[in-house]
Amino acid sequence: AAPAEGAMSNGVYVPPSAANGDVKPVVSTTPLVDFLMQLEDYTPTIPDAVTGYYLNRAGFEASDPRIIRLISLAAQKFISDIANDALQHCKMKGTASGSSRNKSKDKKYTLTMEDLTPALAEYGINVKKPHYFT
Amino acid sequence: RAGSKQPTTPADNYYLARRRTLQVVVSSLLTEAGFESAEKAAVETLTEMLQSYISEIGRSAKSYCEHTARTQPTLSDIVVTLVEMGFNVETLPAYAKRSQRMVITAPPVTNQPVTPKALTAGQNKPHPSHIPGHFPEFPDPHTYIKTPTYREPVSDYQVLREKAASQRRDVERALTRFMAKTGETQSLFKDDVSTFPLIAARPFTVPYLTALLPSELEMQQMEETDSSEQDDQTDTENLPLHISTDDSGPEKENASVLQQNSSLSGSRNGEENMIDNPYLRPVKKPKIRRKK
Repeated sequence: AAPAEGAMSNGVYVPPSAANGDVKPVVSTTPLVDFLMQLEDYTPTIPDAVTGYYLNRAGFEASDPRIIRLISLAAQKFISDIANDALQHCKMKGTASGSSRNKSKDKKYTLTMEDLTPALAEYGINVKKPHYFT
Repeated sequence: RAGSKQPTTPADNYYLARRRTLQVVVSSLLTEAGFESAEKAAVETLTEMLQSYISEIGRSAKSYCEHTARTQPTLSDIVVTLVEMGFNVETLPAYAKRSQRMVITAPPVTNQPVTPKALTAGQNKPHPSHIPGHFPEFPDPHTYIKTPTYREPVSDYQVLREKAASQRRDVERALTRFMAKTGETQSLFKDDVSTFPLIAARPFTVPYLTALLPSELEMQQMEETDSSEQDDQTDTENLPLHISTDDSGPEKENASVLQQNSSLSGSRNGEENMIDNPYLRPVKKPKIRRKK
């Protein structure tokens, strides 16, 4: 019996069950190869020396400096995703009761542990800080 | 950590500088997200997460690369690592293009190599070519240099021969003196007994008897085989022994004398074979005194 027809994209067989769900299988790395070429123009926030230092401590010897930039970019995105989630938590708490409707919530958001903890919990990272400091 | 009074080594400074850079990076990312300020604990948490994230990517990518028998990590290794860590790789180009808005801060850290202290002794061995440059240096040579504390043994032929000869003479002398002291002695001189003791010769009643009789060892073996002749097992043992002696007999030229010699040598060889390895000795059943 022939295998069930699935979505064929780029000549790679994608099973139909997976195509509907949230997680799509990573098809290939060709888009990233192109992206790597573009990466030479863009400098990520983390300097190459710092990322390289931590990668060297882990035993990773980078042959291509663009790979270091890719990793620093991935790490940046990781942190900024968490920061965005924490910001949304902060905004939800602020305007939950509908305090101010004339002007939007004041633009001064402060990142606190109360916002960060639920944002991290969604990623599976549990932090517990004491409420008081002696 | 800010309040610690411990003096920092150059290596610590090196590490702290990069840590501070990471904190600056985290702060800039938070600013870009829209926060005006942040708690110190939150910034520390995110810094720690960032550092461990980078280290984990490096370690995991290296593991994947070595898993396929390579040493240089490639793009595929990193992609697989990111996927394994739950990172959505397809959104990465979009993120890069998006954040072109603002943030290119955090000037690179100036090079602070670890300066050697005044305690280094001697020059460290340089890295061989197969070791990457960022690995720590070799320790001081005095930690692994070994100097043998013994003198070289003398290997001169003449000296060795002299030593061997003198040792043999000393051993002989000591052994004979021991036998003289513990056994009966005869003395050469009438008055002085202890100066040159001679081991007393035991006169036999029939002096030529020892030449004719078999030696004591063979007497022992013959006794053992005679006493356990009642068991079948030793009979089979005797058979190959006798067979071997019979076989070796015709092979010799002369019949009678040499046959006795060969039987002696055969039994002695057999005994040597038995004695040689105690684990290979045939099982000796205890002597059963049958009451007849």
